[in-house]
Amino acid sequence: MTKHIETKQQKDTWEIGGKTLSSRLLIGSALYPSPANMEDAIKISGAQIVTVALRRQAAGEGTGDNFWNIIKSLGIEVLPNTAGCHSAKEAITTAQMAREVFGTNWIKLEVIGDQYNLQPDPFETVKAAEVLIKEGFEVFPYTTDDLVVSKRLADVGCKIIMPWGSMIGSGKGLMNPDNLKAIRKQFPELKLIIDAGIGKPSHATQAMELGYDGVLLNSAIALAQDPVKMAKAFKYAVEAGRFGYESGTMQERQFASPSTPTIGTPFWHQFD
Amino acid sequence: MIEIIVNGIRTAISNEMNINEMIKELEYTQKGFALALNGTFVAISTYETTIIYDNDSIEILAPVQGG
Repeated sequence: MTKHIETKQQKDTWEIGGKTLSSRLLIGSALYPSPANMEDAIKISGAQIVTVALRRQAAGEGTGDNFWNIIKSLGIEVLPNTAGCHSAKEAITTAQMAREVFGTNWIKLEVIGDQYNLQPDPFETVKAAEVLIKEGFEVFPYTTDDLVVSKRLADVGCKIIMPWGSMIGSGKGLMNPDNLKAIRKQFPELKLIIDAGIGKPSHATQAMELGYDGVLLNSAIALAQDPVKMAKAFKYAVEAGRFGYESGTMQERQFASPSTPTIGTPFWHQFD
Repeated sequence: MIEIIVNGIRTAISNEMNINEMIKELEYTQKGFALALNGTFVAISTYETTIIYDNDSIEILAPVQGG
């Protein structure tokens, strides 16, 4: 019986952007101590989606090709981002460039509205998402935990929405779990991924327990003292959270309730 | 000679030319990059027919690590 249950759990899959995946952890490729460390961390995390970016490169510089060859060798899905863009136009151009270089219509849409907290610009994000969807992109928009912004993104055709847990790179976890719950409740048909702000495995578990379909993170693994071990921790944290969500958590109670049977309690006596 | 801006740096090239010729003259030998001209994406398939003029601004981007 136990064997049967384990087999079923191992086959737990989900669909996103037209792909069927078994891991619900999306991992970033930046900030690792070395390319080899990045490769090891990504592999052990079990992640099947890795985020990448585009940046200016000088003539003859081979670092872009080298990096891209490492990523390709992992054999997992690539999710390019538009990090650093501050307008819909910049993000659209970057997405078009990414589609050509990386050979995918997936794009992690980031349009930053404030340099201090890297908060996404909701107006420009929605504008860019609308154009990109019409151009055939599968848009993974990075947004805040604002319900109405998620609604606007859904209205222009986004099938995936990625609210932040908290500020990018802050490691603060889920600032507003109630807002995130409201988004989950309002959009049961959309794929929802927590993107940004995750700092430790328990944050990822919490996100998954809220019913989110996945978690995207980078700094929490790459900046750990041992990124490879932390990648493994996140793999299990995401799985634990998902299983917790699927199994249905118990109702909270206001008072204590003994778990050990009270019938036959030795030395039983009534408290005053 | 004309002057263009490549990745934010003023750069001289011999004359007006198409993008394939410009890439060769600037010695971009790497494989994976994409290009935008004056803020607009230019597909590889149109490099041959897209002409670079004086003061044009070009972005040449390649894969890097990202979160």
